[in-house]
Amino acid sequence: MIFVRYFILLSLFVSLNILSAQTGEEIFKRDCASCHMITDAKLIGPGLKGVTEKYEREWLVKWITNSSEFIASGDERAIAIWEEYNKIAMPAFYYSDDEFEALFSYLENPPVEEVVADADVDGVVVAEDGMDASTQLMLAALALLIISWVLISVKNSLKESLNEETVSVQQSILSFFKKPINKLFSVLFVAIIGIKLFYDVTMGIAVTTNYQPKQPIAFSHKLHAGMQGVDCNYCHSSARTSKHSGIPSANVCMNCHNAVAEGPSGTEEIQKIYDAVGWDPDKRQYIEGYRQKPIEWIRIHNLPDHAYFNHSQHVSVAGLECQDCHGPIQEMEEVYQYSELTMGWCIDCHRESAVMMADNEYYDEMHKKLKVKYAGEKITVDKIGGLECGKCHY
Amino acid sequence: MTKIKTYWKGLAEFNQKPLVEKLKQNEFVEEIAVDDFLSDKNIPSTSTTRRDFLKFLGFSTAAATLASCEAPIVKSIPYVNKPEEIVPGIANYYATTMYDGHDYASILVKTREGRPIKIESNKTCTNARVQASVLSLYDSGRLKEPIKNNNIISYSSLDSEIKSQLSRISEKNGNIVILTPSLISPSTRKLINQFSSKYNNVKHIQLDSVSSHSILEANKLSFDTRVLPMYRFDKAKVIASFGADFIGGWGHPNNEGDYIKGRNPKNKIMSKHYQIESTLTLTGSNACERLQIKPSEQKGLLSNLYEYIVGKSEVDKRIEKLAKNLKNNKGNSIVVCNSNDIETQVIVNAINFELENFEKTIILSKPSYLKQASDDEVNSLISDMNNGKIDALITHNVNPSYTLQNGSEYDKGLKKVGLKVATSLYKDESASQMTYCVPDNHFLESWGDAHPTFGEYSLMQPTIKQLFNGRQFQDSLMVWMGLSDGYQKFLQVFYNNWGINWDKALHDGYFNINEDFVSPNYKYVDGFNGFLTKINKANYIEFEMAEKISMGDGSQSNNPWLQELPDPLSRASWDNYLTMSAATARKLGVKNWNVSNGALNGSVVSLTVNGLTYTNVPVMIQPGQALDTVSMAIGYGRTAAGKCGNNIGFNAFKLGYGKADIKLIDGEHEFAATQLHHTMMGRDIVKETTLADYILDPSSGNKKAKYLTYKGKQPAEEVTLWDDHDHKTGHFWNQSIDLSLCTGCAACVIACHAENNVPVVGKEEIRKSRDMHWLRIDRYFSSEMTKQKAADENISSIEMYAEMEDPSANPEVVFQPVMCQHCNKAPCENVCPVAATTHSREGLNHMTYNRCIGTRYCANNCPYKVRRFNWFKYNENDKFDFNMNDDYGKMVLNPDVVVRSRGVIEKCSMCIQMIQAIKLKAKMTGKPVADEDVQTACSSACSTGAMVFGDANNETHSIYELKKDERMYSLLDHLNTAPSVFYQTKIRNKS
Repeated sequence: MIFVRYFILLSLFVSLNILSAQTGEEIFKRDCASCHMITDAKLIGPGLKGVTEKYEREWLVKWITNSSEFIASGDERAIAIWEEYNKIAMPAFYYSDDEFEALFSYLENPPVEEVVADADVDGVVVAEDGMDASTQLMLAALALLIISWVLISVKNSLKESLNEETVSVQQSILSFFKKPINKLFSVLFVAIIGIKLFYDVTMGIAVTTNYQPKQPIAFSHKLHAGMQGVDCNYCHSSARTSKHSGIPSANVCMNCHNAVAEGPSGTEEIQKIYDAVGWDPDKRQYIEGYRQKPIEWIRIHNLPDHAYFNHSQHVSVAGLECQDCHGPIQEMEEVYQYSELTMGWCIDCHRESAVMMADNEYYDEMHKKLKVKYAGEKITVDKIGGLECGKCHY
Repeated sequence: MTKIKTYWKGLAEFNQKPLVEKLKQNEFVEEIAVDDFLSDKNIPSTSTTRRDFLKFLGFSTAAATLASCEAPIVKSIPYVNKPEEIVPGIANYYATTMYDGHDYASILVKTREGRPIKIESNKTCTNARVQASVLSLYDSGRLKEPIKNNNIISYSSLDSEIKSQLSRISEKNGNIVILTPSLISPSTRKLINQFSSKYNNVKHIQLDSVSSHSILEANKLSFDTRVLPMYRFDKAKVIASFGADFIGGWGHPNNEGDYIKGRNPKNKIMSKHYQIESTLTLTGSNACERLQIKPSEQKGLLSNLYEYIVGKSEVDKRIEKLAKNLKNNKGNSIVVCNSNDIETQVIVNAINFELENFEKTIILSKPSYLKQASDDEVNSLISDMNNGKIDALITHNVNPSYTLQNGSEYDKGLKKVGLKVATSLYKDESASQMTYCVPDNHFLESWGDAHPTFGEYSLMQPTIKQLFNGRQFQDSLMVWMGLSDGYQKFLQVFYNNWGINWDKALHDGYFNINEDFVSPNYKYVDGFNGFLTKINKANYIEFEMAEKISMGDGSQSNNPWLQELPDPLSRASWDNYLTMSAATARKLGVKNWNVSNGALNGSVVSLTVNGLTYTNVPVMIQPGQALDTVSMAIGYGRTAAGKCGNNIGFNAFKLGYGKADIKLIDGEHEFAATQLHHTMMGRDIVKETTLADYILDPSSGNKKAKYLTYKGKQPAEEVTLWDDHDHKTGHFWNQSIDLSLCTGCAACVIACHAENNVPVVGKEEIRKSRDMHWLRIDRYFSSEMTKQKAADENISSIEMYAEMEDPSANPEVVFQPVMCQHCNKAPCENVCPVAATTHSREGLNHMTYNRCIGTRYCANNCPYKVRRFNWFKYNENDKFDFNMNDDYGKMVLNPDVVVRSRGVIEKCSMCIQMIQAIKLKAKMTGKPVADEDVQTACSSACSTGAMVFGDANNETHSIYELKKDERMYSLLDHLNTAPSVFYQTKIRNKS
């Protein structure tokens, strides 16, 4: 019993701690991260590693609540920081005591950097989600073979011990195949497995689910879209208006990264953006006369040239979420192809999805007629011609 | 982290890169490398052993397997700094102006990701050449770098050399001449004025390849104003054109649209158009009545007409009806003439004056400025050059060596000119003789302005960064004057000073200014009566030069779209030839015949005109060509046009007009004609009637075929085995083609090329009937023999059909654009073994290229013969060295339409990419599709409104009414294919 109680107490403690750390983390990311690193590195303001040890709490609260007033009051340490950082005062933030507590406890225990595991496979990373049917069949056949071998051997040993006449394992297997009915079944069995194998292989050609190439910049959707909660449309702005969702140009990255020079994995990856646009992170300005180089991303979602796909049709008109096709993108450290992107996959969705006709004057006339034609049925995309070849192939 | 991954297609690629690279680029695996592989040079002479055979076999299998694998790595490269106005995947439109010295148009340019890919009309009609000019931008044969004596030179040294030479010439008071086409840019005119104040003795001379010198001079004599009038063909009730091809390019580009405005049978009134000409022109083929004369008769006939109008009672029998009609329609008629003779044009002025047409249908107070050049000035320049009086010559986009009849004189004189500078798009026949060549910018890369007609201005803006190291003429002038501002700023300041809202004007592409005008007064020229002559018919064969709708003056002759565009009348492409009538041909022993695969061959002759002889000139027998006259199109016979335009045919500019000596010689010529038959053989493919009958019964001439059934006689649509598709629920895309409004100008064919990535296949393939045009314009001549006549005169069927094959000597002509008819009971769909061609519920016949296995059953079963088979991979096969196989030419491709591969059928999709785009726009804005928004490439290129596209289920679309029109009929309606494309009967005004 003591043990159980102890366990409950411990877990409560841990969860509370995590709770406050999370809100502290949220505050930090929301308000501080654009100017401060949690390490020693300087950004616009000083790095905050060990700041709670360096300054007493009251001092920090005064500084955060209204730094300019604090500086004006003549505090020597405040003035020193102000002068060190080019006389740029920190904006004022008003927090409750709890929030201060959360923030400070976050700063005292910054999260340990996640070590990103090295992927160790060259080429396409294929996530195994269980064996396919043919492999299972083959394993079963192998198992059967071994079992029969063992059984025959056992039988032979028994017979031997009874001094009966024995047939070797090979011979007994061969004699099995001498019976015409067994022969027929074996041939059929092999043929079925063969055809199934052939079918699986051919259907898999050019299906590149889970394709996860190494990108020139280790950009993390998990960090940006997941943890920071940046709206997908901020970077992929043309998804609502154009056939392409658009890969953001480097100047879009610079909207934030002119301030954020260091990420969880350091400065190396962000420096690649600076190399593209010609930004000097130390002087915080663009290098004059710099020859800009575009970032050459590897395209993951490759529809063949003869298939026309339009993002805006699906995002703006049909109201799909990005995740419907691209999967849990906000959890992907490195993006991989989530959906099959085969024609069957397109068509399945077109067969199941209802057309959003309400409040769209374009559909009014058509809807009236469709309601009569398909009385009582869901009006899916295929019912307005969404399966016709020419709609996507021209 | 892993290193950057590299994919190989197999061990072979890893080990043997160069060979595999070579394999990848070759379309035909068997052609590749068997010799390379077997390295034994004696193989052809030895017999192949079994082992060798196995080597071949194994290798080709391996090669084929390799070639069929796809490379998985595709890069996606975004902008570093994305321009705000560009959204990848969305087209931007810019208003600008097309002017190349020959054609003018105010246009909209569609750009995708910064590349112009299509031209739409903005305010003026666009002809085939304007539509095709977007491809000329991407011509890799353009002049790319500034050169001096054939060596590349930097702009800085070029400029300093030219400037110092100009100063030296100016100090010595030497003569500097700037030679340009008709200059319609007011700002450039100002620049040239500034240039002449900077340097002494600067003279600006204009040179038009096809000049209107005689009309300009005649107007100077009659009205004291040297301008071209604007003709209001829409207001004229009677039009008499003596050889003027005003639909094909004579005069203002809007003539075509205006002319048709006055001829819409819907208004129950159509202008009466007489064409009096020797060579069958596009205009002549649209005329109500056409009279064939020899060029030598023209002046006499006009004199005769004049005398009749001013009171003489007798008139030449041939023009009696015309003369009476003109006289009865004073103030409502137009008489025009293509003559190069000033006296003739003065007579035309007198006729129009007596008919009270000036300021009613012929507007001189608000004239056109599109042609201004003076032949006299050009000739005096040439003699000055030969006399060594010209010290510096700066040319801008003119090609006198090629376009002048006395081009050799010009070439001779050029040798005596000190400083020779050409600013030119091409290193053409003339530019190649200049010391300095500055690559000019294409109009799609340039700033500019135009003042084409009184009170109307249009602006030119770049739609792409210049592709080559070019500099536009105006910028060069400014540099040579020592001005550093650049022409763009100069232009903006120029119009700001006029108080023009620059941004708005640039956005619209044009603006109008209300200017004061005066109506010039007519006066009879001194000695006018001396101009009048009797009708003198020359007793020899006369030659005249003609202009083709495709090639124009030949400045765009390196444009493969235009070269492959079949001439609307002869239906031949990639060629020029001497046209003559069947009777003349018989007399000379000249023949046209079809060879075993159907292709057309013709005799060749030697032709001498004005002392110049061309041998091996092919002859095309052209119905409609007047007896004992011959003609040849200008724009061919280029020697420095580029890979597509060089050495095709002969240069007719050098021949001019005059007596033709023709001798049949041994040999034959291979034509590439896309239509080998001339007549409809008594079938009603084009249904037609007369205006009078139409007014009495709107459905006249449009009788539907009926079949005898057990229920009595039934129209074809009642006798069917097929179920109907449901075309009531959503859209029902239909296209109407009004055969009365179609002039056959072929702008739609080029528009279709541009929109749908239709490949160019070249002359050899066209000859094999492998043309790829998705839209063709069939042309039919009338025949003397009709079924009625055969019945009346008891002529046997065999004889009747034999005679029907021959068109009349002066035939009636009809044009019929035919694209996929999008049958709703489609014969092609039933026979496809793989369901690659299927029907949509929006009334379209879909063609799915990636499903097609190339059986061509569909093409066989198509009664309209509109399906095209891709015999080759035209975009990768080096044998088709046209735009699709060229790094620059590829930039014109429409990214929304796939480039088809070898072995599949393709055909008109009714521009489904445009339909889908407009539907998407409607869905996003939440509004029904508007009539004016929905267009196909052909319907939007149609200047006359003959092609109308829309949703036949939508009452607000004009197609809705057109479908119910009594003139509406389907092509080959007895087959009951129920097409979504339908035609309106042709109405002829025969009153």
